[in-house]
Amino acid sequence: MFRLQGSKVLAVDMTGDAVKAKNGSMVAYDGQMAFKKMTGGGEGLRGMVTRRLTGEQMTVMEVKGHGTCYFADRASEINLVSLNGDKLYVESSNLLATDAGLRTGTTFTGLRGASQGNGLFTTTVEGQGQAAIMSDGPAVVLRVGAQYPLSVDPGAYIAHQGNLRQSFQSGVTFRTFLGEGSGEAFQIRFEGEGLVYVQPSERNTIGGDV
Amino acid sequence: MTAPVIFDPYSLPTDDNVNKYTFCVELKSSQWFLQKGKMIAYYGQIEFNGVGHGRLDRLLRTSFHSPLHAGDWVVADGSGKMLLADRAFDVNSYDLDDGNLTIRSGNLLAYQPSLALKQSIVPGFLTLIGTGKFVAASNGPVVFMEPPIRVDPQALVGWADCPSPCHHYDHGYMTGVLGGIRSLTGLGGTSGEEHQFEFVGAGTVLLQSTEVLMAEQATGQVANEPGVPGGGQGGPGQAGAAPRLPGQLGDLQRRFGL
Repeated sequence: MFRLQGSKVLAVDMTGDAVKAKNGSMVAYDGQMAFKKMTGGGEGLRGMVTRRLTGEQMTVMEVKGHGTCYFADRASEINLVSLNGDKLYVESSNLLATDAGLRTGTTFTGLRGASQGNGLFTTTVEGQGQAAIMSDGPAVVLRVGAQYPLSVDPGAYIAHQGNLRQSFQSGVTFRTFLGEGSGEAFQIRFEGEGLVYVQPSERNTIGGDV
Repeated sequence: MTAPVIFDPYSLPTDDNVNKYTFCVELKSSQWFLQKGKMIAYYGQIEFNGVGHGRLDRLLRTSFHSPLHAGDWVVADGSGKMLLADRAFDVNSYDLDDGNLTIRSGNLLAYQPSLALKQSIVPGFLTLIGTGKFVAASNGPVVFMEPPIRVDPQALVGWADCPSPCHHYDHGYMTGVLGGIRSLTGLGGTSGEEHQFEFVGAGTVLLQSTEVLMAEQATGQVANEPGVPGGGQGGPGQAGAAPRLPGQLGDLQRRFGL
């Protein structure tokens, strides 16, 4: 059971079950816990090879036991996500912990990834359970519906879930090359039905300066 | 576990904070000025153009008077709701009613075109004049103070209506031989609080609750004209003098013949 202890510490109550968490993110625990590094994020040999090839690397540990375990990473804000059979797309660097029952994998994101400076691949989390994602400042959750598509700055995007199509929007014009860019040259446009998580801060992206 | 609040274009606030760190602006075929790269997401049809865009000439004439910052500002134009945020700093909106406010250039995020943006005479600050709303970021919540007050330079966000912002140096620095040696060599230690900004008269001073500065916007070089503070390198009176450091009592050096 995931719960937040303050906004920057994740507390997980366990009764013999297990969670997968980012390696080294445990800050405290009570009760009996066993920590085991999961080679290849528990995705098997194929997952390992994919991650190595795609650069979407993630070192994960499995925590199992009875009691409460506390996780935190560089004082980032933590956001809880409940999954009911749907798929969460998140950058591996923003993923803190998932229920052990959730499957993780990698997927191709296309140009969006490149514009974020995070590579062309992203991590997916799928199944029934809870996941914890990290953001710089508390994330804002925005719903996307058929009537209202959403455009997001690649630097502020952290995750999305649901049935969404993403396309890459570019506002690059000849002005950009004259040094009069708008600073918002690239956006990711989400259409369909689902939720998008954005953080109130921007990573440095190639698009950020244009 | 409490479910997170999920926003859609109908539940997002209009021209108000979504949370402490995110601000939502509603555009109805209207325009807002915002600093480059502070938009994090938007619904609807919004276009972003650098202030050099030809169609914006009329707008610029009335509400943008800062050539030094022209490269840092864009105009959002269209209909929809737009979210603004800056490096997870606190953001707040303020209303000006036929008023004026001077703010550190890095702290101003966005403003309504009914306000006019001007460069302050104080280097590194911008002045907003008119009626309308603007959004500013601060590192930690903003505190409002009444003059007369002396404030730490790093904690100052801005001020409204104060007629005479000026520097203040503690006099103890100057007195006695020890004071002289200390100021020349830095030996003997300093409290770090010998230099303040002083405000007197009627008005309001805005402070942030930390001394960690927000990344300064490059303010560029001020026009090199006689009478413009900071313009060019040194006036005729101090030609050849080494540039003074902020905490230094310049004329002491001269007195010691340095």
